[in-house]
Amino acid sequence: MNRQNDVLIRCHGVTKQYRKGNNLVTPLESLDLDVPRGDFLALMGPSGSGKTTLLNLLSGIDQPTSGSIEMDGVKVHALNRRELAAWRAHHVGYIFQLYHLVPVLTAFENVELPLLLDDMPRRERQERVEAALSLVGLSDRMHHFPRELSGGQEQRVAIARALVADPPLLVADEPTGDLDRQAADAILGLLHELANGQGKTIVMVTHDPKAAEAAARLLHLEKGRLLEAVS
Amino acid sequence: MKLSAGMHLVPLAFKQLVRHRIRTLLTVAGIAAGMFLFTLVESMQHAVSGATEIRASDQTLVVYRENRYCPSTSRLPIYYEDEIRRIPGVREVIPIQITVNNCGASLDVITFRGVPPEQLARYAPEIRIIDGSRKDWEATDDGALIGENLALRRGLKPGDAFEAAGVRVRISGVLSSPNPQDNDVAYVHLPFLQQASRRGLGEVTQFNVRVEEGGDLGAVARAIDERFASAEEPTYTQPEKAFFAQAAQDLIELTGFTRWIGIGAVIAVVGLVANAVLLVVRTRIRENAVLQTLGYPDLAIAWLVMLEGLLLGLAGGIAGAGGAMTFLWLARISFGNEGQMLSLSPDPVLFAAGLGLALALGAFAALYPAWIAVRRPIVESLRT
Ligand SMILES: Nc1ncnc2c1ncn2[C@@H]1O[C@H](COP(=O)(O)OP(=O)(O)OP(=O)(O)O)[C@@H](O)[C@H]1O
Ligand SMILES: [Mg+2]
Repeated sequence: MNRQNDVLIRCHGVTKQYRKGNNLVTPLESLDLDVPRGDFLALMGPSGSGKTTLLNLLSGIDQPTSGSIEMDGVKVHALNRRELAAWRAHHVGYIFQLYHLVPVLTAFENVELPLLLDDMPRRERQERVEAALSLVGLSDRMHHFPRELSGGQEQRVAIARALVADPPLLVADEPTGDLDRQAADAILGLLHELANGQGKTIVMVTHDPKAAEAAARLLHLEKGRLLEAVS
Repeated sequence: MKLSAGMHLVPLAFKQLVRHRIRTLLTVAGIAAGMFLFTLVESMQHAVSGATEIRASDQTLVVYRENRYCPSTSRLPIYYEDEIRRIPGVREVIPIQITVNNCGASLDVITFRGVPPEQLARYAPEIRIIDGSRKDWEATDDGALIGENLALRRGLKPGDAFEAAGVRVRISGVLSSPNPQDNDVAYVHLPFLQQASRRGLGEVTQFNVRVEEGGDLGAVARAIDERFASAEEPTYTQPEKAFFAQAAQDLIELTGFTRWIGIGAVIAVVGLVANAVLLVVRTRIRENAVLQTLGYPDLAIAWLVMLEGLLLGLAGGIAGAGGAMTFLWLARISFGNEGQMLSLSPDPVLFAAGLGLALALGAFAALYPAWIAVRRPIVESLRT
């Protein structure tokens, strides 16, 4: 692996503005950020500081007003809507605070969702879903519906869903925000293992100092700007 | 998005529907009711056009007493038969005495057609006897060959006796014919009917005339009417279907009016599906945004919404159009007016048309909701 490839994400001069009525909100301003491959990065900051906005830009579900975001050499900021969707499918897994599983689908079917778009034999799809669920320790809950699972288990299913297409980047927005300590620790342990054992690059937003400890690196976001990293 | 991906999404849309069972059932029931009505109305229209639209292959003329419209008032001397047969282009003539139990519009009309027994086979070779025997009929003075619709409607079989319009007959056989009128009538011997209905032996209601293959119906009709123009009983001759259209004018107007019911049913189905799918889309804003986050393109999201409309249409179409077919099959409805019958029978073409329309309506009604589902930015939908 050469040096060039060691950096997975390069953000340069990233600004995001929203228009709210007559006011212009600028949650992110001239932000520069490099994320090395395999990094487990925690983002902290007060409410409204732009953390979710940054994750949305990194994951390609939103686009910067100005600046550039490159991932693996792809200029993500320059992709159109359709290209972005295709790019997301194979490059990012998004983990939400409230899991956002599809309630009428079983754990298995939820995890299968990202693979339905690919021209993949059924057999292979099934193997990959089972592998992802076993990685998060839920092999025995495959055919349970979300309402039959605990919060921690739901979040594991969501993580399996984010993983199943094997993207290099996982973004997580307060993944333990809705869980008790024990369940939260288990999820953090899982994310840690994904970064160290599976080589995933993880960017995680959190309010929880213990969660930040689990990460390899911690950044503070304040009023749209990154403050110095604390390690 | 690849075609295969489009197919992979079908089970997903299907699960969304079956796992919201009550909502789906209610919607499907509504669509089914609309499509049931629509298919029934179409069957009626179809029966009318089948009975009234004159085709090049039609070969039958009906000779009636001029200016008479009901079988009880049309009286023609039976000796016209030989004269008509001599007119060029005429292949076969059959004198017919019509006796009806009810001359007005009715749902249960019994029409007797008195014909010379030895002439029936020559006149209508397409008639098949599906139960009983033709020989028995020919040998029995008060025997009747009844159409299969009539047999089903009244639950009659060979050996049974029945009475209508003061005429009592014994059933010798049940017939089936490609000509829908035949399937609703009772063929009896002409002299028997003339006596039973207390008409003279020398009189009949009408003559049915078969024209030579490829012959000109209009020309033969004119020739017949000219032949009797100055006779005591002048005639008026028209193609059988034009005759039906004239005799059953009220009936046709009535069924024409029902077209509005069909249109109303279609509009109701569109509204119902659009409302159901729109509601689904509204409650699934965030869910769809999550799918988009997973990499689903707009096309896939829109397709999922369309699929729900299509599947609802499919289920409602099968239930509604299928229900209408079953209903027609069980009820064997025949409308009659002045001795003319209009029978509704189940028809796979109409079933397919009802089903196809239901699918099209489902897709059409889902267009706007599909657009609603993809027009919002993902991050906004996630924040809801
Ligand atoms: N789609 C949007 N339209 C308008 N304003 C927005 C939008 N998304 C975010 N903002 C604004 O941008 C700012 C940053 O929002 P963001 O959600 O990134 O904050 P956050 O750091 O994730 O906060 P929290 O910790 O509460 O989740 C807020 O002021 C928010 O109101
Ligand atoms: Mg946030």
